[in-house]
Amino acid sequence: MTSFQSTLDDDEDGIAEELAASQREISVAEFFEKNKHMLGFDSGARGLVTAVKEAVDNALDATEEAGILPDIYVEISEGRDYYTLIVEDNGPGITNAQIPKIFGKLLYGSRFHAREQSRGQQGIGISAAVLYSQLTSGKPVRIESRTQDSETANVYELIIDTDTNEPEISAETEVSAAKSDLRGTHGTRIEMALDANMRARGQLHDYIKHTAVVNPHARIELQEPGGELKSERAEEASLPAETDEILPHPHGVELGTLIKMLAETDSHSVSGFLQSEFTRVGSKTATGIIDAFRDEHFGREMRWRPPADADLEATVADAVANKDATHTAVFARTVADAVRDADSIAPAELGALVADAAADAQDDTGTSFGETVQANVVAAVRDALTSDRVADVLGPVDEATTVQKDDATVRGLAERIAAKFESGGDTDRVTRDTLDEYVFRAAENTAEYADATIGETARENVADALWARMATVPDDPPNTSALADDRDAASDLLAAMASVNVMAPPTSCLSPIEADQLEAGLRTEFDADFYAAATRDADVHGGDPFIVEAGIAYGGDIDSEGGVQLMRFANRVPLVYQRGACATTDVLGDIGWRNYNLSQPGGSGLPQGPAVIMVHVASTNVPFTSESKDAIANVPEIEAEIELAVREAARELKSFLQKRQSMRKRQQKQDVIMDILPTMAEKVGELTGRGGVDVSDSLARIMNNVLVERARSDDGQTVTLRVENHGTGSVDVDVTDIVSAEPDGVGDDASVVAMDDEYFVKWTPAVAGDDAAELTYSVDADADCELSVSGVADARLTVSEADT
Amino acid sequence: MSETHTSDETEARDQLLAIAEQFYDQFADGDIPRMSLPTRSKSNIEYDEDADVWVYGDSQSTRSANSVRGARKLLKSVYTVDFLAQQLDEGRSSTLRELYYLSESWDEAEAQFNDQSESDKLVEDLEIVSGVKREDFHMRPEESGAKVMGPLRLREQTRRGDREIHCQEDVGQGGYQIPNNPDTIDFLDTDADFVLCVETGGMRDRLVENGFDDDYNAIVVHLGGQPARATRRLTKRLHDELDLPVTVFTDGDPWSYRIYGSVAYGSIKSAHLSEYLATPQAQFIGIRPQDIVDYDLPTDPLSDSDVNALESELEDPRFQSDFWTEQIGLQLDIDKKAEQQALASRGLDFVTDTYLPERLAEMGVL
Repeated sequence: MTSFQSTLDDDEDGIAEELAASQREISVAEFFEKNKHMLGFDSGARGLVTAVKEAVDNALDATEEAGILPDIYVEISEGRDYYTLIVEDNGPGITNAQIPKIFGKLLYGSRFHAREQSRGQQGIGISAAVLYSQLTSGKPVRIESRTQDSETANVYELIIDTDTNEPEISAETEVSAAKSDLRGTHGTRIEMALDANMRARGQLHDYIKHTAVVNPHARIELQEPGGELKSERAEEASLPAETDEILPHPHGVELGTLIKMLAETDSHSVSGFLQSEFTRVGSKTATGIIDAFRDEHFGREMRWRPPADADLEATVADAVANKDATHTAVFARTVADAVRDADSIAPAELGALVADAAADAQDDTGTSFGETVQANVVAAVRDALTSDRVADVLGPVDEATTVQKDDATVRGLAERIAAKFESGGDTDRVTRDTLDEYVFRAAENTAEYADATIGETARENVADALWARMATVPDDPPNTSALADDRDAASDLLAAMASVNVMAPPTSCLSPIEADQLEAGLRTEFDADFYAAATRDADVHGGDPFIVEAGIAYGGDIDSEGGVQLMRFANRVPLVYQRGACATTDVLGDIGWRNYNLSQPGGSGLPQGPAVIMVHVASTNVPFTSESKDAIANVPEIEAEIELAVREAARELKSFLQKRQSMRKRQQKQDVIMDILPTMAEKVGELTGRGGVDVSDSLARIMNNVLVERARSDDGQTVTLRVENHGTGSVDVDVTDIVSAEPDGVGDDASVVAMDDEYFVKWTPAVAGDDAAELTYSVDADADCELSVSGVADARLTVSEADT
Repeated sequence: MSETHTSDETEARDQLLAIAEQFYDQFADGDIPRMSLPTRSKSNIEYDEDADVWVYGDSQSTRSANSVRGARKLLKSVYTVDFLAQQLDEGRSSTLRELYYLSESWDEAEAQFNDQSESDKLVEDLEIVSGVKREDFHMRPEESGAKVMGPLRLREQTRRGDREIHCQEDVGQGGYQIPNNPDTIDFLDTDADFVLCVETGGMRDRLVENGFDDDYNAIVVHLGGQPARATRRLTKRLHDELDLPVTVFTDGDPWSYRIYGSVAYGSIKSAHLSEYLATPQAQFIGIRPQDIVDYDLPTDPLSDSDVNALESELEDPRFQSDFWTEQIGLQLDIDKKAEQQALASRGLDFVTDTYLPERLAEMGVL
């Protein structure tokens, strides 16, 4: 065995050395090549989509930051060897000095740790696209920029030094505005040649279209070899609200981050650190966290109660030697009274109490009770306090166990726990883990000897009751630099932060699209019969605030074959890949869509029908399933909000569909009745020999319709329009009679407009259910009239123009 | 209208047109056209103490054009009224089945009947609303009426003139065929002492073969299952006009008791005509459950549907007499039923020589 071990050791050394020798720095290009699948550039088709995505995100950010409504132009053209991608915005333009920052080093994003909703967090940045272009075509990227109010534009050629990962401007020229390729008076235009193909045209179009939906304030145009796609700005769309950057929330950090923050902070104390580096932490919350940390890190001390018959004054007096007897008595009484007042007391508390009493006694008597004396007194009182531990433990144990436990069992358990404390050390200080261990062992033993069962819950209750009785220790927490070096202590701090209630983070860092704008976005992109959108209130996952929004468009020109179209967005950026892995898809599949009048084969999965469902998750940190950031991870808090947002929008869809269905039924009924009643009336007219009879009144009553009838007086000069509402609810009807001669005697409630020899007499009466209104005017008996009624659904309206 | 119309026909026509007038008025007033009918169910029949028959109660159901279904029904009603009025105008008659097929020729598809039960029921509805009997609309059922044999002379108005017929001497073995509208008959004279209604054809033939009608001066009326209206009407007239006691002789099972029920109390379907069709004084001869026991007749066990029917009869307001509760209770007890022909187990003449004379004497008819 020994010999084998040594052989192995030798071998290991050899391998390690070999590995170390083979290690060398790899270039950015190599890194990119090895990781391009992670970065979204695994094929020419996808590379093009990713490059467009990065450039458009960049362009949107640039314009929005400058407070300009974005106008984005994307052009893809096919060259002999390469594709050329041009993305142009109407932003403020960029200067020479900004270029390295914007197109800078790969994975050098400034936004990486920012707690603010931004698109940039999404991808890995435009730099990857630049690098991809350079690596596949060997050509520099051409950037043309014109700043606001500038007469000239600047053209830069940019390459990235793949050894140093530094961007370099290889050429810079100034061109006059006339010669500039820029379409507007200011903005930035990026032109890059890259190895690509258009096989992912669908995704590319989806990306542009979806981007337009969540950015209704933007105008986006795509020109590609196969055609063009234009998305106009929604009317009255405004720029998204500006977001604030916020500090991390105590519930949202991980241990590594916390240690890094501890190492970098300027604060010395933990309290200062918590208050200055986290959001929503003030002195009160910081104190709470530190107390929790003390409990985690140091444990608590058990409080003991002095026995009722104990003569504490004598105990104290005995412990004090060689002091003035009267003064000692004063000191002893002060200590004894304080201990009695405290009811039960922990060792650390006792120490402080004795020190206070000594100081008081010295003030009163002039006799000094020094540290040695105090230590003796503390030890003596402590002996008195702990003389009957069982009695102290019994209380909480009895309270925490159910009445079914017999007294012997409870007492046995209390005795055993007390024994653990007795052998546990001088301070009676235990962490929660140790306390649990005490209770566990005591319970096991009690169960064994007393032939009783003490279940999990009972044990937990006992431990909780004891823990509640124990005192948090006054020890100072380590300072920040010590914590940074002590992983276990930092872990205790993290646990303490998690255990304390902290107010949810502010939502000023989020910029939801808002329901009305979302609906506007859907309207510009889809020609549908119905639109609904919902924006939820902000919630928190792992310390990051988030807002979920959902929108639905239904009917119209939306494809009715197969499943609905699902559009997913994170921080206003469309997610076009990995739909199946996304939490959004899971949540939608679990909703019972049949309840919302959409068909759902098998009762689960995405619904079917002519609908588009969109879900937008905005957060300072959208959790993704992987680095490629295509699918939102299944975080319960986010899933719950997605469901609520979608259901909110779906409820509106349901009522729309129900209404439409009932209107349809109503129309069918009306069609049949409209066929039957006149035939019936004709027949009874024949049978009775009384001639034709008008059925429109009966019909209106049957259909709960609004009936508008015109009647003219016998001389033909007075026209009465009668509006009868046979429904239950009130209606506002627009009634317009178009008359061929000038009307007279029109009431104040009507307006008359003359137009091309015709007079438009218009009323807008509000008629309650089962009520009627009469509108009259006078006119020449020969005048022709024509009624036009609006404000009531066609299916509910019966217009009758009897001519007498 | 031609002048050859009888006053009855004119009245029937006017009553029908009144329905149309009502619809016209409803249209003119802007109301929803509608028609009220008594609810035709077991729960809505009441005993009319004056007439001693069961009639519809106060519960009404309204048929209105408010629903597509109701509107269709009303349209069909109007078309049917039109047809009936025209038929009366022309002095023609037709069968219920013909009405159903005739509707196929109507230009308005919505007015056509889906099946004959629909048109049959509609004619009954019109009877109720107009207060005019189907016979007066000149509507007849498809099946021929039952037959009568006995010492009775009558005069029937036929399309070929009035005929005087004696129901023994002028008829063959089958007897006198009751016309669809028995009100066209005048009774001239009779030697009969009572009326005997018989459920099955076999038993009727046995009685006639044995000369029971002759021997006992009985008018034997063949019911042929659930009796047609004409049979019930004739029976009632024999009782009312000739003052003859009416007896009913059926099988001993719940379905046969219903046959007796419709002769004596009127049926639920035509309760609006009870006063015209029912003979409340009709007496039940048998086969009683008591007879099954007394004469030790060959029997079949009761089926589930028999038991259900008996139990339903116990709840039927028409069967709430001591006699019926006792007999039905006994039948449920013995769990047996018997046919009329079961009496043949005691010989072919047993029914005429023993059973009927005994029962009729018991009932005070003989």
